[in-house]
Amino acid sequence: MLSTAGLSLEQAPPIHIPFRFFLTAPLFLLAAALLLALKGDSLLASRWSPAALAVTHLIVVGFLGQVMSGALLQMLPVVAGSPVPSVRLVGGTVNPLLAVGAGMLAWGLLGGGGMALSVGAVCASLGFLVLVLSAGLALLRARGAPQTVRAMGLALGSLLVAVVLGLVLTEALSGRIWILQFPAWVDVHLAWGLLGWVGLLVMGVAFQVVPMFHVTPPYPKWLSFWLPPLAAAALLLGTLRLVSDTYEAGVAATGVLALAFSLFALVTLGLQARRERKRVDATLLHWWSAMVCVLLAALCWLLAGPPVVTGILLLLGAGVGVVSGMLFKIVPFLAWFHLQHRQLTSGKLQVRVPNMLTFLPDRPARLQLACHLLALVGTLAAWAVPVLIVPAGIALALSAALLGGLILRALVRFRRVAMAIEASPPSTHPEAM
Amino acid sequence: MDVPLDVSALEPPEPMRQILEALFDLADGDRLCVRHRREPFPLYDILQRMGYAWETSGSEGRFQILIWRTAPPVTDGSD
Repeated sequence: MLSTAGLSLEQAPPIHIPFRFFLTAPLFLLAAALLLALKGDSLLASRWSPAALAVTHLIVVGFLGQVMSGALLQMLPVVAGSPVPSVRLVGGTVNPLLAVGAGMLAWGLLGGGGMALSVGAVCASLGFLVLVLSAGLALLRARGAPQTVRAMGLALGSLLVAVVLGLVLTEALSGRIWILQFPAWVDVHLAWGLLGWVGLLVMGVAFQVVPMFHVTPPYPKWLSFWLPPLAAAALLLGTLRLVSDTYEAGVAATGVLALAFSLFALVTLGLQARRERKRVDATLLHWWSAMVCVLLAALCWLLAGPPVVTGILLLLGAGVGVVSGMLFKIVPFLAWFHLQHRQLTSGKLQVRVPNMLTFLPDRPARLQLACHLLALVGTLAAWAVPVLIVPAGIALALSAALLGGLILRALVRFRRVAMAIEASPPSTHPEAM
Repeated sequence: MDVPLDVSALEPPEPMRQILEALFDLADGDRLCVRHRREPFPLYDILQRMGYAWETSGSEGRFQILIWRTAPPVTDGSD
Protein backbone atom coordinates (compact mmCIF):
# COMPACT_ATOMS: atom_id res chain seq x y z
CA MET A 1 0.00 0.00 0.00
CA LEU A 2 1.38 3.39 -0.93
CA SER A 3 1.35 6.09 1.68
CA THR A 4 -0.63 9.26 1.10
CA ALA A 5 0.68 11.04 4.15
CA GLY A 6 2.90 14.08 3.89
CA LEU A 7 1.79 14.93 0.39
CA SER A 8 2.26 18.57 -0.50
CA LEU A 9 -0.94 20.53 -0.96
CA GLU A 10 0.71 22.37 -3.83
CA GLN A 11 1.61 19.58 -6.20
CA ALA A 12 1.49 21.62 -9.39
CA PRO A 13 3.25 24.99 -9.77
CA PRO A 14 1.05 28.05 -10.46
CA ILE A 15 0.08 28.10 -14.13
CA HIS A 16 1.93 31.35 -14.86
CA ILE A 17 5.26 29.63 -14.27
CA PRO A 18 5.21 27.07 -17.12
CA PHE A 19 3.33 29.56 -19.34
CA ARG A 20 6.10 32.13 -18.89
CA PHE A 21 8.58 29.63 -20.36
CA PHE A 22 6.20 28.50 -23.10
CA LEU A 23 5.43 32.07 -24.21
CA THR A 24 9.09 33.16 -24.25
CA ALA A 25 10.28 30.16 -26.29
CA PRO A 26 8.58 30.93 -29.66
CA LEU A 27 10.22 34.38 -29.68
CA PHE A 28 13.62 32.70 -29.95
CA LEU A 29 12.38 30.34 -32.65
CA LEU A 30 11.15 33.43 -34.49
CA ALA A 31 14.58 35.08 -34.10
CA ALA A 32 16.26 31.92 -35.41
CA ALA A 33 13.86 31.86 -38.36
CA LEU A 34 14.57 35.49 -39.27
CA LEU A 35 18.29 34.82 -39.08
CA LEU A 36 17.77 31.81 -41.34
CA ALA A 37 15.94 33.95 -43.91
CA LEU A 38 18.41 36.84 -43.75
CA LYS A 39 21.75 35.04 -43.36
CA GLY A 40 20.85 31.65 -44.79
CA ASP A 41 23.51 31.64 -47.50
CA SER A 42 26.41 31.87 -45.07
CA LEU A 43 24.63 29.58 -42.65
CA LEU A 44 24.49 26.68 -45.08
CA ALA A 45 28.02 27.24 -46.33
CA SER A 46 29.49 25.92 -43.08
CA ARG A 47 28.28 24.70 -39.72
CA TRP A 48 31.02 26.90 -38.29
CA SER A 49 29.58 30.11 -39.75
CA PRO A 50 28.59 32.71 -37.10
CA ALA A 51 24.97 32.55 -38.34
CA ALA A 52 24.83 28.74 -38.01
CA LEU A 53 26.20 28.89 -34.47
CA ALA A 54 23.80 31.69 -33.53
CA VAL A 55 20.76 29.87 -34.96
CA THR A 56 21.76 26.66 -33.14
CA HIS A 57 21.96 28.47 -29.78
CA LEU A 58 18.76 30.43 -30.35
CA ILE A 59 16.97 27.12 -30.93
CA VAL A 60 18.71 24.94 -28.31
CA VAL A 61 18.95 27.45 -25.45
CA GLY A 62 16.19 29.91 -26.38
CA PHE A 63 13.48 27.62 -27.69
CA LEU A 64 14.14 24.04 -26.58
CA GLY A 65 15.80 25.10 -23.31
CA GLN A 66 12.87 27.32 -22.33
CA VAL A 67 10.12 24.83 -23.21
CA MET A 68 11.90 21.88 -21.64
CA SER A 69 12.68 23.77 -18.43
CA GLY A 70 9.07 24.91 -18.08
CA ALA A 71 7.79 21.43 -18.87
CA LEU A 72 10.17 19.85 -16.37
CA LEU A 73 9.00 22.14 -13.54
CA GLN A 74 5.43 21.21 -14.45
CA MET A 75 5.88 17.49 -15.11
CA LEU A 76 7.92 16.46 -12.07
CA PRO A 77 4.98 16.78 -9.67
CA VAL A 78 2.57 15.25 -12.20
CA VAL A 79 4.52 12.15 -13.25
CA ALA A 80 6.80 11.64 -10.26
CA GLY A 81 4.74 13.15 -7.43
CA SER A 82 7.68 15.40 -6.56
CA PRO A 83 7.27 19.19 -6.79
CA VAL A 84 10.35 21.26 -7.58
CA PRO A 85 11.36 23.11 -4.36
CA SER A 86 10.81 26.90 -4.39
CA VAL A 87 9.32 26.58 -7.85
CA ARG A 88 8.25 30.24 -8.05
CA LEU A 89 11.80 31.41 -7.37
CA VAL A 90 13.29 28.79 -9.70
CA GLY A 91 10.87 29.67 -12.52
CA GLY A 92 11.39 33.39 -12.00
CA THR A 93 15.17 32.93 -12.17
CA VAL A 94 15.67 30.31 -14.90
CA ASN A 95 13.31 31.94 -17.44
CA PRO A 96 15.02 35.38 -17.65
CA LEU A 97 18.52 33.90 -17.35
CA LEU A 98 17.92 31.59 -20.32
CA ALA A 99 16.31 34.43 -22.29
CA VAL A 100 19.26 36.79 -21.75
CA GLY A 101 21.68 33.87 -22.19
CA ALA A 102 20.24 32.77 -25.55
CA GLY A 103 20.02 36.34 -26.86
CA MET A 104 23.53 37.36 -25.81
CA LEU A 105 25.09 34.07 -26.95
CA ALA A 106 23.54 34.52 -30.40
CA TRP A 107 24.62 38.16 -30.50
CA GLY A 108 28.15 37.29 -29.39
CA LEU A 109 28.46 34.46 -31.93
CA LEU A 110 27.19 36.76 -34.68
CA GLY A 111 30.11 39.08 -34.05
CA GLY A 112 28.82 41.11 -31.14
CA GLY A 113 32.12 40.65 -29.33
CA GLY A 114 33.69 38.63 -26.54
CA MET A 115 31.78 40.48 -23.81
CA ALA A 116 28.38 39.58 -25.27
CA LEU A 117 29.51 35.99 -25.67
CA SER A 118 30.75 35.78 -22.07
CA VAL A 119 27.60 37.40 -20.63
CA GLY A 120 25.46 35.03 -22.72
CA ALA A 121 27.42 31.96 -21.65
CA VAL A 122 27.36 32.93 -17.96
CA CYS A 123 23.62 33.74 -17.96
CA ALA A 124 22.65 30.56 -19.82
CA SER A 125 24.93 28.47 -17.59
CA LEU A 126 23.52 30.00 -14.39
CA GLY A 127 19.97 29.43 -15.62
CA PHE A 128 20.65 25.80 -16.46
CA LEU A 129 22.56 25.31 -13.20
CA VAL A 130 19.59 26.52 -11.12
CA LEU A 131 17.38 24.14 -13.13
CA VAL A 132 19.73 21.18 -12.69
CA LEU A 133 20.00 21.72 -8.91
CA SER A 134 16.29 22.27 -8.26
CA ALA A 135 14.97 19.63 -10.66
CA GLY A 136 17.71 17.26 -9.51
CA LEU A 137 16.55 17.66 -5.91
CA ALA A 138 12.96 16.93 -6.98
CA LEU A 139 14.15 13.82 -8.84
CA LEU A 140 15.86 12.55 -5.69
CA ARG A 141 12.49 12.78 -3.89
CA ALA A 142 10.53 11.20 -6.79
CA ARG A 143 7.92 8.61 -5.81
CA GLY A 144 6.92 7.15 -9.17
CA ALA A 145 7.78 6.54 -12.84
CA PRO A 146 11.33 5.24 -12.11
CA GLN A 147 12.39 4.86 -15.77
CA THR A 148 11.31 8.41 -16.61
CA VAL A 149 12.98 9.73 -13.48
CA ARG A 150 16.24 8.00 -14.43
CA ALA A 151 16.14 9.35 -17.99
CA MET A 152 15.43 12.84 -16.65
CA GLY A 153 18.37 12.52 -14.24
CA LEU A 154 20.67 11.49 -17.08
CA ALA A 155 19.34 14.39 -19.18
CA LEU A 156 20.12 16.84 -16.37
CA GLY A 157 23.60 15.32 -15.98
CA SER A 158 24.12 15.72 -19.74
CA LEU A 159 22.98 19.32 -19.51
CA LEU A 160 25.58 19.94 -16.82
CA VAL A 161 28.35 18.49 -19.01
CA ALA A 162 27.16 20.54 -22.02
CA VAL A 163 27.15 23.70 -19.87
CA VAL A 164 30.68 23.13 -18.54
CA LEU A 165 31.98 22.39 -22.04
CA GLY A 166 30.15 25.46 -23.37
CA LEU A 167 31.82 27.68 -20.77
CA VAL A 168 35.26 26.27 -21.63
CA LEU A 169 34.62 26.76 -25.37
CA THR A 170 33.50 30.34 -24.76
CA GLU A 171 36.76 31.02 -22.95
CA ALA A 172 38.66 29.55 -25.90
CA LEU A 173 36.64 31.63 -28.40
CA SER A 174 37.42 34.75 -26.39
CA GLY A 175 41.11 33.87 -26.60
CA ARG A 176 41.59 33.51 -22.83
CA ILE A 177 42.53 29.82 -23.08
CA TRP A 178 43.70 27.56 -25.89
CA ILE A 179 42.22 24.10 -26.59
CA LEU A 180 43.69 21.32 -28.68
CA GLN A 181 41.15 19.80 -31.14
CA PHE A 182 38.72 22.71 -30.75
CA PRO A 183 36.23 21.47 -33.44
CA ALA A 184 36.09 18.01 -31.86
CA TRP A 185 35.25 19.53 -28.46
CA VAL A 186 32.50 21.58 -30.11
CA ASP A 187 31.08 18.30 -31.45
CA VAL A 188 31.16 16.81 -27.96
CA HIS A 189 29.45 19.92 -26.51
CA LEU A 190 26.77 19.64 -29.20
CA ALA A 191 26.30 15.91 -28.58
CA TRP A 192 25.79 16.35 -24.81
CA GLY A 193 23.41 19.26 -25.42
CA LEU A 194 21.36 17.88 -28.28
CA LEU A 195 21.45 14.11 -27.80
CA GLY A 196 22.03 14.07 -24.02
CA TRP A 197 19.93 16.93 -22.67
CA VAL A 198 17.27 17.20 -25.40
CA GLY A 199 17.30 13.57 -26.59
CA LEU A 200 17.27 11.86 -23.19
CA LEU A 201 14.67 14.24 -21.78
CA VAL A 202 12.40 13.66 -24.79
CA MET A 203 12.92 9.92 -24.30
CA GLY A 204 12.07 10.05 -20.59
CA VAL A 205 9.03 12.25 -21.15
CA ALA A 206 7.90 10.02 -24.04
CA PHE A 207 7.83 7.00 -21.70
CA GLN A 208 4.98 8.85 -19.93
CA VAL A 209 3.21 11.03 -22.50
CA VAL A 210 3.07 8.67 -25.49
CA PRO A 211 1.08 5.98 -23.63
CA MET A 212 -0.84 8.66 -21.70
CA PHE A 213 -2.02 11.01 -24.46
CA HIS A 214 -2.38 8.54 -27.33
CA VAL A 215 -3.46 5.58 -25.20
CA THR A 216 -0.82 3.20 -26.51
CA PRO A 217 0.67 0.15 -24.78
CA PRO A 218 3.55 1.12 -22.47
CA TYR A 219 7.15 1.14 -23.76
CA PRO A 220 8.80 -2.27 -23.29
CA LYS A 221 10.46 -2.39 -19.86
CA TRP A 222 13.84 -3.47 -21.28
CA LEU A 223 13.84 -0.44 -23.56
CA SER A 224 12.94 2.17 -20.97
CA PHE A 225 15.41 0.56 -18.53
CA TRP A 226 18.44 0.17 -20.81
CA LEU A 227 18.19 2.78 -23.56
CA PRO A 228 18.79 6.02 -21.58
CA PRO A 229 21.89 4.71 -19.72
CA LEU A 230 23.18 3.16 -22.96
CA ALA A 231 22.92 6.50 -24.77
CA ALA A 232 24.55 8.31 -21.83
CA ALA A 233 27.38 5.73 -21.77
CA ALA A 234 27.92 6.26 -25.51
CA LEU A 235 28.15 10.01 -24.95
CA LEU A 236 30.73 9.40 -22.25
CA LEU A 237 32.71 7.08 -24.53
CA GLY A 238 32.61 9.70 -27.29
CA THR A 239 34.03 12.25 -24.86
CA LEU A 240 36.73 9.97 -23.47
CA ARG A 241 37.95 9.15 -26.97
CA LEU A 242 39.00 12.78 -27.29
CA VAL A 243 41.18 12.39 -24.23
CA SER A 244 42.57 9.03 -25.37
CA ASP A 245 42.57 10.13 -29.03
CA THR A 246 41.06 6.83 -30.23
CA TYR A 247 39.25 7.20 -33.54
CA GLU A 248 37.51 3.80 -33.35
CA ALA A 249 35.98 4.58 -29.95
CA GLY A 250 34.47 7.76 -31.41
CA VAL A 251 32.88 5.89 -34.31
CA ALA A 252 31.58 3.19 -31.96
CA ALA A 253 30.07 5.84 -29.65
CA THR A 254 28.29 7.60 -32.53
CA GLY A 255 27.11 4.21 -33.84
CA VAL A 256 25.62 3.27 -30.46
CA LEU A 257 23.89 6.68 -30.24
CA ALA A 258 22.47 6.31 -33.77
CA LEU A 259 21.26 2.81 -32.93
CA ALA A 260 19.76 3.80 -29.55
CA PHE A 261 17.80 6.77 -30.88
CA SER A 262 16.71 4.85 -34.02
CA LEU A 263 15.40 2.06 -31.81
CA PHE A 264 13.55 4.60 -29.69
CA ALA A 265 12.02 6.16 -32.83
CA LEU A 266 10.98 2.78 -34.27
CA VAL A 267 9.42 1.58 -30.99
CA THR A 268 7.59 4.92 -30.58
CA LEU A 269 6.16 4.69 -34.12
CA GLY A 270 5.21 1.05 -33.47
CA LEU A 271 3.42 1.91 -30.20
CA GLN A 272 1.59 4.81 -31.83
CA ALA A 273 0.44 2.50 -34.63
CA ARG A 274 -1.16 0.30 -31.93
CA ARG A 275 -2.84 3.24 -30.14
CA GLU A 276 -6.42 2.84 -28.91
CA ARG A 277 -7.27 6.47 -29.58
CA LYS A 278 -7.44 6.40 -33.39
CA ARG A 279 -7.87 10.13 -34.05
CA VAL A 280 -4.86 11.69 -35.79
CA ASP A 281 -4.13 15.13 -34.33
CA ALA A 282 -1.36 17.72 -34.77
CA THR A 283 0.60 16.29 -31.81
CA LEU A 284 0.65 12.81 -33.29
CA LEU A 285 1.67 14.14 -36.71
CA HIS A 286 4.50 16.11 -35.06
CA TRP A 287 5.64 12.93 -33.31
CA TRP A 288 5.58 10.93 -36.56
CA SER A 289 7.56 13.54 -38.48
CA ALA A 290 10.06 13.93 -35.60
CA MET A 291 10.63 10.17 -35.29
CA VAL A 292 11.11 9.86 -39.08
CA CYS A 293 13.68 12.69 -38.83
CA VAL A 294 15.57 10.73 -36.14
CA LEU A 295 15.71 7.71 -38.44
CA LEU A 296 16.80 9.83 -41.42
CA ALA A 297 19.50 11.50 -39.30
CA ALA A 298 20.88 8.08 -38.31
CA LEU A 299 20.80 7.01 -41.97
CA CYS A 300 22.55 10.21 -43.03
CA TRP A 301 25.33 9.53 -40.50
CA LEU A 302 25.60 5.88 -41.61
CA LEU A 303 25.96 6.91 -45.26
CA ALA A 304 28.53 9.57 -44.31
CA GLY A 305 26.14 12.30 -45.46
CA PRO A 306 26.74 16.00 -44.81
CA PRO A 307 26.81 16.81 -41.06
CA VAL A 308 24.72 19.95 -41.75
CA VAL A 309 21.85 17.74 -42.98
CA THR A 310 22.11 15.46 -39.91
CA GLY A 311 22.09 18.58 -37.74
CA ILE A 312 19.00 20.06 -39.44
CA LEU A 313 17.14 16.73 -39.11
CA LEU A 314 17.95 16.44 -35.39
CA LEU A 315 17.62 20.07 -34.37
CA LEU A 316 14.71 21.29 -36.45
CA GLY A 317 13.04 18.03 -37.47
CA ALA A 318 13.23 16.05 -34.24
CA GLY A 319 13.88 18.63 -31.49
CA VAL A 320 11.66 21.55 -32.53
CA GLY A 321 9.04 19.18 -34.00
CA VAL A 322 8.47 16.95 -31.00
CA VAL A 323 8.59 19.83 -28.51
CA SER A 324 6.03 21.85 -30.53
CA GLY A 325 3.78 18.79 -30.72
CA MET A 326 3.96 18.21 -26.98
CA LEU A 327 3.07 21.85 -26.29
CA PHE A 328 -0.21 21.25 -28.13
CA LYS A 329 -1.12 18.73 -25.39
CA ILE A 330 0.57 20.23 -22.33
CA VAL A 331 -0.80 23.79 -22.74
CA PRO A 332 -4.53 22.94 -23.00
CA PHE A 333 -4.22 20.27 -20.31
CA LEU A 334 -2.66 22.80 -17.91
CA ALA A 335 -5.39 25.34 -18.64
CA TRP A 336 -8.11 22.73 -18.06
CA PHE A 337 -6.48 21.31 -14.93
CA HIS A 338 -5.88 24.65 -13.22
CA LEU A 339 -9.45 25.82 -13.90
CA GLN A 340 -10.85 22.54 -12.62
CA HIS A 341 -8.67 22.81 -9.54
CA ARG A 342 -9.64 26.44 -8.94
CA GLN A 343 -13.32 25.66 -9.33
CA LEU A 344 -13.44 22.60 -7.11
CA THR A 345 -11.36 24.06 -4.32
CA SER A 346 -13.37 27.30 -4.25
CA GLY A 347 -16.73 25.52 -4.45
CA LYS A 348 -17.83 27.77 -7.35
CA LEU A 349 -19.31 25.18 -9.67
CA GLN A 350 -21.71 27.28 -11.78
CA VAL A 351 -19.28 27.98 -14.63
CA ARG A 352 -18.57 25.14 -17.04
CA VAL A 353 -14.87 24.48 -17.62
CA PRO A 354 -14.44 24.14 -21.42
CA ASN A 355 -12.86 21.02 -22.89
CA MET A 356 -9.20 20.97 -23.88
CA LEU A 357 -9.81 21.62 -27.60
CA THR A 358 -11.45 24.96 -26.75
CA PHE A 359 -8.13 26.18 -25.37
CA LEU A 360 -6.05 24.95 -28.29
CA PRO A 361 -8.03 23.82 -31.37
CA ASP A 362 -6.56 21.25 -33.75
CA ARG A 363 -7.01 23.14 -37.05
CA PRO A 364 -4.61 26.05 -36.37
CA ALA A 365 -2.28 23.54 -34.72
CA ARG A 366 -2.23 21.61 -38.02
CA LEU A 367 -1.46 24.85 -39.85
CA GLN A 368 1.51 25.34 -37.52
CA LEU A 369 2.60 21.77 -38.32
CA ALA A 370 2.34 22.49 -42.07
CA CYS A 371 4.55 25.60 -41.70
CA HIS A 372 7.02 23.59 -39.62
CA LEU A 373 7.21 20.83 -42.24
CA LEU A 374 7.62 23.39 -45.06
CA ALA A 375 10.44 25.01 -43.10
CA LEU A 376 12.07 21.62 -42.52
CA VAL A 377 11.86 20.47 -46.14
CA GLY A 378 12.92 23.92 -47.36
CA THR A 379 15.96 24.03 -45.07
CA LEU A 380 17.01 20.53 -46.14
CA ALA A 381 16.47 21.34 -49.83
CA ALA A 382 18.40 24.59 -49.43
CA TRP A 383 21.51 22.51 -48.86
CA ALA A 384 21.30 21.71 -52.61
CA VAL A 385 19.40 24.85 -53.77
CA PRO A 386 20.57 27.64 -51.43
CA VAL A 387 17.94 30.17 -52.50
CA LEU A 388 15.26 28.02 -50.81
CA ILE A 389 16.56 29.07 -47.41
CA VAL A 390 14.60 32.34 -47.64
CA PRO A 391 11.12 30.75 -47.98
CA ALA A 392 12.19 28.10 -45.46
CA GLY A 393 13.06 30.84 -42.96
CA ILE A 394 9.74 32.57 -43.60
CA ALA A 395 7.87 29.28 -43.08
CA LEU A 396 9.73 28.72 -39.80
CA ALA A 397 8.89 32.28 -38.70
CA LEU A 398 5.22 31.60 -39.46
CA SER A 399 5.31 28.33 -37.51
CA ALA A 400 6.91 30.12 -34.54
CA ALA A 401 4.35 32.94 -34.68
CA LEU A 402 1.48 30.45 -34.88
CA LEU A 403 2.88 28.45 -31.96
CA GLY A 404 3.26 31.56 -29.82
CA GLY A 405 -0.17 32.82 -30.89
CA LEU A 406 -1.84 29.52 -29.98
CA ILE A 407 -0.23 29.47 -26.54
CA LEU A 408 -1.26 33.10 -25.95
CA ARG A 409 -4.80 32.30 -27.09
CA ALA A 410 -4.97 29.42 -24.59
CA LEU A 411 -3.80 31.75 -21.81
CA VAL A 412 -6.40 34.41 -22.73
CA ARG A 413 -9.15 31.73 -22.68
CA PHE A 414 -7.87 30.48 -19.34
CA ARG A 415 -8.00 33.98 -17.85
CA ARG A 416 -11.51 34.57 -19.19
CA VAL A 417 -12.89 31.38 -17.61
CA ALA A 418 -10.90 31.95 -14.41
CA MET A 419 -12.49 35.41 -14.05
CA ALA A 420 -15.95 33.96 -14.68
CA ILE A 421 -15.36 31.38 -11.94
CA GLU A 422 -14.12 34.07 -9.60
CA ALA A 423 -17.22 36.19 -10.20
CA SER A 424 -19.70 33.30 -9.77
CA PRO A 425 -21.38 32.48 -6.43
CA PRO A 426 -20.39 29.35 -4.44
CA SER A 427 -22.45 26.25 -5.18
CA THR A 428 -22.44 22.59 -4.31
CA HIS A 429 -24.25 21.48 -7.44
CA PRO A 430 -21.91 19.75 -9.90
CA GLU A 431 -23.12 21.55 -13.07
CA ALA A 432 -19.59 22.37 -14.01
CA MET A 433 -18.63 18.76 -14.45
CA MET B 1 -20.14 -0.36 -0.93
CA ASP B 2 -17.15 -0.01 -3.31
CA VAL B 3 -18.12 1.60 -6.64
CA PRO B 4 -15.76 0.50 -9.44
CA LEU B 5 -14.46 2.90 -12.10
CA ASP B 6 -11.92 1.93 -14.77
CA VAL B 7 -10.14 4.91 -16.37
CA SER B 8 -7.05 3.03 -17.52
CA ALA B 9 -7.80 3.33 -21.26
CA LEU B 10 -8.74 7.01 -21.29
CA GLU B 11 -6.66 9.98 -22.44
CA PRO B 12 -6.19 13.08 -20.22
CA PRO B 13 -8.17 14.82 -18.89
CA GLU B 14 -10.91 12.15 -19.04
CA PRO B 15 -9.63 10.05 -16.09
CA MET B 16 -9.71 13.03 -13.72
CA ARG B 17 -13.00 14.34 -15.12
CA GLN B 18 -14.73 10.97 -14.72
CA ILE B 19 -13.32 10.40 -11.23
CA LEU B 20 -14.54 13.82 -10.04
CA GLU B 21 -17.93 13.24 -11.63
CA ALA B 22 -18.21 9.84 -9.93
CA LEU B 23 -17.31 11.40 -6.58
CA PHE B 24 -20.22 13.83 -6.84
CA ASP B 25 -22.56 10.84 -7.35
CA LEU B 26 -21.00 8.78 -4.56
CA ALA B 27 -23.47 7.97 -1.76
CA ASP B 28 -22.52 8.63 1.88
CA GLY B 29 -20.40 5.80 3.22
CA ASP B 30 -19.53 4.43 -0.23
CA ARG B 31 -16.01 4.30 -1.64
CA LEU B 32 -14.89 4.85 -5.22
CA CYS B 33 -12.53 2.14 -6.45
CA VAL B 34 -10.58 3.52 -9.41
CA ARG B 35 -8.42 1.49 -11.78
CA HIS B 36 -5.76 3.58 -13.53
CA ARG B 37 -2.62 2.86 -15.57
CA ARG B 38 -0.62 5.55 -13.76
CA GLU B 39 -0.61 7.12 -10.32
CA PRO B 40 -2.73 10.31 -10.57
CA PHE B 41 -0.61 12.65 -8.44
CA PRO B 42 -2.46 15.86 -9.52
CA LEU B 43 -5.76 14.35 -8.37
CA TYR B 44 -4.52 13.90 -4.79
CA ASP B 45 -4.23 17.64 -4.26
CA ILE B 46 -7.84 18.17 -5.33
CA LEU B 47 -9.05 15.22 -3.21
CA GLN B 48 -7.31 16.53 -0.12
CA ARG B 49 -8.83 19.99 -0.54
CA MET B 50 -12.29 18.53 -1.19
CA GLY B 51 -12.20 16.49 2.03
CA TYR B 52 -11.55 13.04 0.60
CA ALA B 53 -9.07 10.40 1.74
CA TRP B 54 -7.50 7.80 -0.53
CA GLU B 55 -5.35 4.72 -0.56
CA THR B 56 -3.28 3.73 -3.56
CA SER B 57 -1.97 0.27 -4.31
CA GLY B 58 -0.34 -1.39 -7.32
CA SER B 59 2.66 -0.54 -9.46
CA GLU B 60 3.58 0.92 -12.87
CA GLY B 61 0.85 0.30 -15.42
CA ARG B 62 -1.77 -0.96 -12.93
CA PHE B 63 -2.87 1.14 -9.98
CA GLN B 64 -5.95 0.96 -7.77
CA ILE B 65 -7.06 4.09 -5.94
CA LEU B 66 -9.69 3.77 -3.22
CA ILE B 67 -11.37 7.12 -2.43
CA TRP B 68 -13.87 8.01 0.31
CA ARG B 69 -15.18 11.17 1.96
CA THR B 70 -13.84 12.14 5.37
CA ALA B 71 -14.65 15.84 5.83
CA PRO B 72 -16.45 18.79 4.25
CA PRO B 73 -14.44 20.43 1.42
CA VAL B 74 -11.82 23.08 2.17
CA THR B 75 -12.75 26.20 0.18
CA ASP B 76 -9.83 28.58 0.31
CA GLY B 77 -10.08 29.72 -3.32
CA SER B 78 -6.39 29.37 -4.11
CA ASP B 79 -4.77 27.15 -6.73
